[in-house]
Amino acid sequence: MTPFLDVFCTQTDRHNVFYPLLRQIMNKDSQMRAAINQKLIEMGERERLKELLRAKLVECGWRDQLKAHCKDVIREKGLEHVTVEDLVTEVTPKGRALVPDSVKKELLQRIRAFLAQHATL
Amino acid sequence: MKMEDMPLSGPDNTKLEALVHDIYSELVEDACLGLCFEVHRAVKQGYFFLDETDQESMKEFEIVDQPGVDIFGQVYNQWKNKECECPNCKRLIAASRFAPHLEKCLGMGRNSSRIANRRLASNNNMSKSESDQEDNDDLNDNDWSYGAEKKAKKRKSDKNQNSPRRSKSLKHKNGELGSSISSESYKYNYNTGISYETLGPDEVRSLLTTQCGVISEHTKKMCNRSQRCPQHTDEQRRAVRVFLLGPSAPSLTDADAVVENDSFDIPDGQMLMSRLQWEDSPDISPTDSASSKASTNHSESRKPKKKKRTSLGLNSGGSGSSVGGGGGGLTGGSSSSSSSQSNISLSTKKKRPKLSAPSITSIYDDLN
Repeated sequence: MTPFLDVFCTQTDRHNVFYPLLRQIMNKDSQMRAAINQKLIEMGERERLKELLRAKLVECGWRDQLKAHCKDVIREKGLEHVTVEDLVTEVTPKGRALVPDSVKKELLQRIRAFLAQHATL
Repeated sequence: MKMEDMPLSGPDNTKLEALVHDIYSELVEDACLGLCFEVHRAVKQGYFFLDETDQESMKEFEIVDQPGVDIFGQVYNQWKNKECECPNCKRLIAASRFAPHLEKCLGMGRNSSRIANRRLASNNNMSKSESDQEDNDDLNDNDWSYGAEKKAKKRKSDKNQNSPRRSKSLKHKNGELGSSISSESYKYNYNTGISYETLGPDEVRSLLTTQCGVISEHTKKMCNRSQRCPQHTDEQRRAVRVFLLGPSAPSLTDADAVVENDSFDIPDGQMLMSRLQWEDSPDISPTDSASSKASTNHSESRKPKKKKRTSLGLNSGGSGSSVGGGGGGLTGGSSSSSSSQSNISLSTKKKRPKLSAPSITSIYDDLN
């Protein structure tokens, strides 16, 4: 992992929401990952996967759980002082943990299938 | 580097698995981010906590689940006592009577546009007979309470002669019974008419497009029945329109009425009819009330008889004899001639011009 991204980033940038994402994309395998992401977007598979995930999460009540959690966070911080960053930092870990195993499995399966289909062409 | 070059199978399996997981977590984070934006927007717009209520109001509006009451905890027979305020006249009316009342008050029902028109006209010109009619309506209006309803029903049955159903039954009597009844109802209807002198030209025009409007010889009031009013003939209506609005008036009358008159133009036809009646019964002076009665009898008896042409001979005989009885001073010859006149007017369109052809020529000579 070459943190070459860090060279261009200030301290505040490191607290940006997208920082981990950027870092993931721009690390050692960045080019390969970029190519795969490109392919996912080009084929429309990424949108399909997103839609599937959204539907599944609404179906299993993940959304409602997270919303309830959001309510707690907002009450804690006060209605006026809530920012998107606050919400993201509070909600994302919980959101990741709350995804049901079945949904996770199905999604991984679909991604694998896509890669197997297109990466070996 | 292109995807085709990447060796993803075999030793790179762990790498591939990591890639898959990365994509998955990206997707989940996307979903989280979307939710966060949504919630944040809702908070800033102020609708995030809209579905939350405090405990007191939750208790207050709790759904009641008990036998005998509705979900609001009320006994469900209460609607019977509900009263509504009429938006037009501001009075309180029992809910079950509200629709009939509105029909009367606003004039938006089946029968009542005519009544409403009359009311509008009365508001405009404030004629005396109209205010009488208004009082009558108020007496008959039985919407205000349940107690009054029974009394009002009785009153309605014996005095509400102006209702359309009642006048329909009277119409048949007019055709077959003596002139005494018909003249009475005739007078009654004309009492409710509108005096045309007090109206402006626009009001006259609007009235004539909706109503019969024939002007009475007795009261000088206009008939306020519909355009198909059985008491007056199409010729009478047309003549009134010509008289009040000028020669361009017949455009107001409906198309089939114009078609019916196929032989001569309108004012001539009307003049001719009245002329014929006077010429055929020379014994009667034009000012005699009996002659006017007789002429109204003709016009009244025409419509119903047209419908049942099978009993035509019998009807015309009856009307002829009734003219004799009503007039009193009529000779037998004149009564028979008037009955023949009614026969002419009753006959079909094809017959009429042929039969009255000599009279027409004589009248033209007269005019020249």
